[in-house]
Parts: sequence; structure tokens; C-alpha cells
Amino acid sequence: MAARSRLPLPLAAAAARGRLPLPLAAAAARGGLPLPLAARANNVRRLSCGRAALCSATATATYPPLLPSRTAKSKAAKRRREEEFYQRVHDSPAPADKLQLLTKLQRLKYVVSPQTTAIGADRWYQHFTKTAFVPGLPASLPAPLPAAQLAELRSLVSEAVLQEQFYLKRRPPFLYREREQTALPLIGNLVSLLVGSLTDRNPLLGLATLDREPQVSFYWSRGERTVPRGHRKRKVDPIRFQIEDKPWCQIRVPRQLTEFMPLENSIPEDVPVIHMEPSRLPLFQRQYDNNIFIGSKVADPACYGHTQFHFASEKLRREKLVKDKLADQIEVRLRAAGMASLFAWTGAQAAYQGFWSEADVVCPFVSQAVITDGIYFSFFCYQLNTLALTVRADQHNLRKNICWGTESMRLYESIEGEDIKGFNDEVLDLLVRFLLNRPESVETKIS
Amino acid sequence: MGLWCCETATLRLCPLPLEDMDSYPLYQYGNPQLRIFRTNFFMTLVRPGTEQPEDTVQFRIPMEMTKPDVKNYLQDIYSVPVAAVRTRIQYCTNKKRNHKNQKVKRPDYKVAYVQLAEGQTFKFPNIFPEKDQTTESGSLEEIQNKFLEEDKQKQKADPRRGGVTEWFGL
Repeated sequence: MAARSRLPLPLAAAAARGRLPLPLAAAAARGGLPLPLAARANNVRRLSCGRAALCSATATATYPPLLPSRTAKSKAAKRRREEEFYQRVHDSPAPADKLQLLTKLQRLKYVVSPQTTAIGADRWYQHFTKTAFVPGLPASLPAPLPAAQLAELRSLVSEAVLQEQFYLKRRPPFLYREREQTALPLIGNLVSLLVGSLTDRNPLLGLATLDREPQVSFYWSRGERTVPRGHRKRKVDPIRFQIEDKPWCQIRVPRQLTEFMPLENSIPEDVPVIHMEPSRLPLFQRQYDNNIFIGSKVADPACYGHTQFHFASEKLRREKLVKDKLADQIEVRLRAAGMASLFAWTGAQAAYQGFWSEADVVCPFVSQAVITDGIYFSFFCYQLNTLALTVRADQHNLRKNICWGTESMRLYESIEGEDIKGFNDEVLDLLVRFLLNRPESVETKIS
Repeated sequence: MGLWCCETATLRLCPLPLEDMDSYPLYQYGNPQLRIFRTNFFMTLVRPGTEQPEDTVQFRIPMEMTKPDVKNYLQDIYSVPVAAVRTRIQYCTNKKRNHKNQKVKRPDYKVAYVQLAEGQTFKFPNIFPEKDQTTESGSLEEIQNKFLEEDKQKQKADPRRGGVTEWFGL
């Protein structure tokens, strides 16, 4: 028989939950309520006071989960708001919704332009994008064409070059934009010619889309910064970046290219780390719409990138750099341009598939780029292994993005009348190999 | 690097004042290149207030000087290879007032950030290093220090009193 001071079990449970009305609760606390009255007062079923009841009463949680506030001015509240935001992004079904949530809030961000006049820009860009640079090209590019086919393509390319340099009569060029006049049509013609000739060898090119002057943009965060002065002093902010790029033309395909290197492999090259603010580069901040765009909208089936062709603008003009005694900066600027453009393109492709900094890419995204000023060609291959560049996501992230690149090579030595002297087959060979790149799943028709 | 510097060093190349810097001879097409052999400009190398990259040197320059002027100055006079120059003008306050309550303007100045070429680096030296406290035995400084310490000891209260003042007691 239970002592008077001890409450019967259901009442004790009810009292613990706080569900008893006050007077009854008080009475129950005093231990003076007889059992039938208590049961009737609280509509509690009379449970058997055995071991089963004891287990069931203590097994279920009796309190709701203790969460920090959502609106308080505290670190815990801020963490909770961030977690809820990340959960909302994780839960949104379509990549377009995720993009909209991630790029909704406008804040000051550093606008990174791929072609820049900054000194030593390649190391800084490597730090911003967590990229390791490997000189040379990856071994897994397609095999070169036999010499006979290459000779045919060579004659086509020579015709294209002579068309711009010799056959066409042109007006005097705009000041400081002379190179554009011949190079831009040349790139366009070369791409169309080569893509047309190589479609039988690479059926993927038949399914590809060729964009002219597409807009490519990407928005990401990397690193953190403590606000030094003002009403937000001592607050910690992420450092945001935006790339807006306009390649002269690009090829987009509906199938993803195979990776150049497996995701788990590590390479000896390091990512340089710079402990200074990006404004020292110099880089400037602006606040406007955060854009993530590969050249077409999310619904387009050709959502993977193949090759971009860039024109090396006046900022990268070789003669000017040599005259200013900055000859070593030529390759630096080309590398920076290649890395930034390709990181933006592959990052945007990954974002279109629903990956973001807290949901890292599952398989690498791969793209290629050619930067040229009409005579000198540089080739770049980029593999995006990770999008987790924010401080929170990067804590235990050992992956790094890889960029392979060549030095700039001349396509020809000189043009005398109708002859091209010193045509460099290596450049044509690399162009062809770039365009022949395809995933293994695509069947090849051998002509 | 052969650039001598100190916090407020100035280099005056010509003691005679030239014509005023506002009136350069006006250039017309066909004129020969203007050459100045003894310039009236002088630059001050300063310690950067915020952290700068290793290849960046910070100068205070006259307002009338431009980026090409800075580049030519350093390259021609000091043979310092310059990759890039960026300038800004620092506005200084006009809010301070003197004892007559008149507003006193602190003069504005122009700052140039010079990036060195050919991979050169520059770190502003420590001009006021900490002096070692160790003095040679028998020197005047040591005797003086000893005397000062003994004097301080005499001024201190008796440690056996445990911090209690002399007001109490006999």
C-alpha cells in the first residue's frame, strides 16, 4: 500500500508534466489527494503500477527540445538562424530555388575580373578559389590526330588566318584596339571550322551549343574578416567575391566530361595562402545583384561546360608589358585569367546541379579554356573538386581545385603575303585535342 | 635595396627654388619631351599604417606629383624598378580649433603605394629598436642607475610593517 506522502504514479507523471490544474497540483504536492478523486479530477487512466508502467513513463521525453532563441542578440541565436537557413537551402527541391536563396541577400563583395592588371594576381586568385596550379596539361586528354588529318585541318586554319590578316581589307583600327579587329573574327571562324570538322570524330560536338559572347558569373565566399571600425565593429563577416566574365565564345554540352584526375588523388602542388585583405591586391568592392550564370538558364539541357575561348584584351598586351619591363607578368596574367574564368564557369555549373558550400560536389566538374590574342595561344584545363570554400565548410576539407595550364605559344612566326611562315603544329594539335575531349559514354564513330 | 630612409627623411635635390610647380611649360604637339633635371619634388618613405604586401612601399608625396612622376622619379634617380604606382589623397581635418577658437586645418597629403618589380621586396625597418638594459660595469650609467635605485629604496616604507602607514604607531 502506497504511503500517503507518495503520489500514485499517473498523478506524479501528470504533475511532472505540469498538466494538473493548480489547486489539485498543490494538493497533490502535499500528498493529500485520495486516488479516485485524483483520477476523476484529471481524467487520468488508472495505469497498473508495475514495471511496464514505470518504463513507459520514463522512456519518452517529457520536455520539448531546448533550443536557443531565434531573435535574441546572442551568438547562439545567430548560430541557430544560420543553421535554419542552411536547412532551408538543403530542403529546397530544385537547384534554382537553392540559387535564389543563396544569392538573395546583397552585400558588399569584391568584384574579381579574370583579366587584370594587378601584379602577382595569379597567387591571389589561387588563394581566393583554392586552386593548385600544375604546369603542363593532364595526361588524360584525348590522343592526338594522325598527321594526315592534321594536315587537312592545318590548311583550313591557315586559310582562316590569312582571311583576317591578308585577304580582307579593313578600315584603320580603333586606337588601342587594333588586335581585336583581326583576332576576334579569327577565333570565331576557327571554332566554327574545327567544330564542324571534328563532329564526326566527337559526336558530343554535334549535341553541343556554341555561345557567342555569353555572360558567365559566379558568386562565392572565402575567408572571414573582422570589421575594424563603425557601428559593426568587432563583428565577423565572410569575404564575398563575384566574377563577371565574357568569353568570346564557349561550347556547352549536355554530358559531363570525365575528370582528369580522381577526386581522392592528392597532388604535390600547394594552394598559396595569403593572410592579407583582398583590397591590397588591389581589388574593389561593390554591392549589386549576386549572379550565378553559365551562359544559359538552369532549365537548359546543355548545362555542362566543354571549352571556352577568350580574347586576351589590352590589359594583357604583350608589347606593352615588355616595354614596361614586366615581361614576367605576361604569364602571370594569363594564368590568373584562365583560373578565374574556369573557376567561375565550373562553379556555376556545379551550382546549377544543386551543389553549394555546405553540399560539396560529388564528382569533379571539368572544363577547358583557350586564351589567345590572335597569335599567342595558351591552354588551360580546370577540375573543380570542391565548392566548400567558406570558413565553416573548409575546416576539414582536404580537397583542392586543380588548374593545368601551358605557357603561351605562337601559332605562326610571320605572314609574308599569302604565306604563313613557321606554322606551329603543336598549337593546332592541342586545339584539336581539346575539342575531341568527350566522356567515355559517348560512342565514337570511326570514319 | 639601396634606398636610405627614416621616418621623416626628405631628399632635397636642389637648394635653389625653381619656378613654381603650377606653371610647367605648356606642351604643344611637336614639342620635345619635357625634361627636368633638378626636380622640386621630394618624397617621404613612411611606415604603412595597415599591413601591406611585401613588394609594396608607401610614400607621402606632394599633391602635384602624379603616378608617372613617381615612377620616373624612383627609376631615374634611385634606379628602383617600379612595377605599379597607386595614389590617393588623404583629407585631414579642418575641425580643430586653436586658443582663439579659429579653425585650424591640418594639411592634406597624397600617399603613393609603389609596387616593386623583379620580385623585389621591402620591409620598413625598426628605427627605434629597444635598447638593452645591461650596462657595462664601472660606467657612469651604471653608477647613476645604482644611485637611483638606492634612493628609491630609501623612499619606500619598511617592508616589515606589511603595508601599514606610518600614521599608526609610535
